[in-house]
Amino acid sequence: MSKVAQKKPVPAKMTPPRSGNSPAKRALRRIEPYIWIAPSVILMAVFILIPILSVFQMSLSDVSKAGKIKGFNGLGNFIKVVKGSAFGLVLQNTLVWTIAVVVLSTVLGFVLALILNNKFRGRKVARAIVVFPWATTLVIQASVWNFIINTDYGTLNTLLMKLGIIKQAVNWTPTPEAYFAWEIACGIFVTIPFVTFCVLSGLQSIDTTYYEAATVDGANYWQKLFKITLPLVKSSLTVSTVLNIIYVFNSFPIIWTMTKGDPANHTDTLVTYLYKLAFYNGRQGEAAAVSVIGFLILLVCASVYMIYTLRKGDDN
Amino acid sequence: MKKTLALLLALVMTLALVACGGNDDKPADNSNTQTDANTPAPSTPDPAPEAPAGEKIDISVIASQYGQNTNKWWADFQEAFNKEHENINLTVEVVSWNDIYTVVNTRISGNTAPDILNIDVFADYQADGLLLPAKDYVSEETYAKMYPAFLEQSNIDGTIWAIPDLASARAMYYNKDILDAAGVEVPTTWDELKAACEKLKAYDSSIYPWGIDMTTDEGQAAFAYYIWNNGGDFTDADGNWTLNSDANVEAIEYAIDLVNSGLTNSDPANETRYTLQDLFGAGKLAMMIGPNSIPTYIAEGGSTINYAFAPIPTNGGNPSVSAGVMDRFMCFDNGHSPEKLEAIKTFFDYFYEDARYSDWVLMEGFLPATSAGGEIVAKADESMAPWVDIVGSCKFYPTAKAEWADVKQGVINVEQQALLGGSVRELLDALQSDIAG
Repeated sequence: MSKVAQKKPVPAKMTPPRSGNSPAKRALRRIEPYIWIAPSVILMAVFILIPILSVFQMSLSDVSKAGKIKGFNGLGNFIKVVKGSAFGLVLQNTLVWTIAVVVLSTVLGFVLALILNNKFRGRKVARAIVVFPWATTLVIQASVWNFIINTDYGTLNTLLMKLGIIKQAVNWTPTPEAYFAWEIACGIFVTIPFVTFCVLSGLQSIDTTYYEAATVDGANYWQKLFKITLPLVKSSLTVSTVLNIIYVFNSFPIIWTMTKGDPANHTDTLVTYLYKLAFYNGRQGEAAAVSVIGFLILLVCASVYMIYTLRKGDDN
Repeated sequence: MKKTLALLLALVMTLALVACGGNDDKPADNSNTQTDANTPAPSTPDPAPEAPAGEKIDISVIASQYGQNTNKWWADFQEAFNKEHENINLTVEVVSWNDIYTVVNTRISGNTAPDILNIDVFADYQADGLLLPAKDYVSEETYAKMYPAFLEQSNIDGTIWAIPDLASARAMYYNKDILDAAGVEVPTTWDELKAACEKLKAYDSSIYPWGIDMTTDEGQAAFAYYIWNNGGDFTDADGNWTLNSDANVEAIEYAIDLVNSGLTNSDPANETRYTLQDLFGAGKLAMMIGPNSIPTYIAEGGSTINYAFAPIPTNGGNPSVSAGVMDRFMCFDNGHSPEKLEAIKTFFDYFYEDARYSDWVLMEGFLPATSAGGEIVAKADESMAPWVDIVGSCKFYPTAKAEWADVKQGVINVEQQALLGGSVRELLDALQSDIAG
């Protein structure tokens, strides 16, 4: 009895909203979705849009050393930055850094993903180990690399001397270029896990019947790799590459921890250079200009890459 | 029903967010203090009304983190101060040297500058008209305690804008055992220094004879050591930049020659003073120029080397000059009421009280900036006594000049370019024309 009594009012309650279609309610329904997303839109505006706009504003302003905006400066900051003696070198370093780290880590990460996709004993452990470099703070990673390659107390020298391969401590960083190469190596090391996991997720979604069919048709390993695997993980690779271009281009901790861009901007990238401009030289307007230049370069690179690969994907 | 309720909740959340944004701006408005004093609107439910009579006066301080003891020292200070001064609510925020410039500049651009700041530089803030003259916020008794030469370092156009909180000075440290074993006398001139380095290198090639730090960290210190001890300087007596003077060029060429002759640590552009201190403590570096805090640093590192310090070697019969580094307190012009300025004076009186002040200085092994503090420190720690004499007579960086930040980065860049093979003369000429126009 009581169950029936309780159940009855429910459908009765449900009916009024259905039938009631007054203009106020319709209007409410129309704006309802916007109200739902309002909090996140506001959060994004506060934490993403406003900072971006204020960087653009700063780059076009005359900013005092203490960070006060003194007035409009047109393209003055950009002209000063581009004419600066170090800018060309820094831009070149940035491109070398980004291309070297992204390309090499993508290739190595892809190979590693192929290996980890095979069935073997201890695969889970191996996968967990791959995550380690990713899960460690970049500052710690860079400090450890610095510790490894140090001439006076580095573990690499100690190891090689203990093994009897070298007799005297070797200076692994005799030139700025050598230092930069070590930084790139560190960058690759910490970027590989991300690529590996992106590709691995792609690999796992490939239906094994494709490979079986190919085997039946007599395809060899390389044919299967290039005709089946690569096309099918391309979307994962695109995602990882675009994200990596952005992350690596903007990466600050490795270079800052290892060399601070020394000597004389020879290992600076745009990001470390703008940090020095802003907080060591107190030229925040120019730093903002460098930041905007970096933003535009990234925007162009990432869009070109995405349009190119996605369109190709559509054609296929 | 549920939907309407959820919608309402969402609206409330949105409004709350907007309200948060609004509140942030409030302290920025300096005129608030005045209008509120005239019309003390009692019925507003504002959670933070402007201090009516009997309310606590808030003082915010940003202090730099000198070492591992700084945080605790300030926390104890804040507690003791607030306990003794019931009408004042002091909050001290200790920020590491790595972040402090970023934090302060962000706060300034957001119009939420602290009331009191403890940092090394001040000229940029003064140039923007953000600071109050020292006499406005320091009582006469406390002001009279400071070494006049130190106060002069914060003089712009005849007004003192900041007061010194502590100082450190530099001298040459040497490993006695290594020098004795190699049969080397402690060098006093540049010629003797180079000869000593060569002898040390011949004695044991695995030991670096001389330490040089030309990194972004503190390369300007190396620049100062060599030019000052060659009779050169950053500026002339009138305060004009003289970066490319003959004495300066000769000095930096000498330093670069030491590196190129293989008499120094292998990578001066990347090895900071801390790396050198570690090498020195490990007995792998025979001599280096360093601050008075080295004994503390080396002792904490567990090193047992036998070392001593001597004046920095000089050239051409010039007297040995020690480089001084001085940090400061400054007060931001946040539209303080007379009561608040009195409270800030109380803060400084409390801080510079002789016993408390010498405790502050000794906490991280620094040198005092007040004469009374100097006496107490010299008495409390005998090893500090010669340093208290040195600090009274050392030279300082020209931090009161607005171009200093560019000069500092500029001379570091010159050193690093010279290490890569650039001509010191050309590099300094270029820097001089860049800075002096």
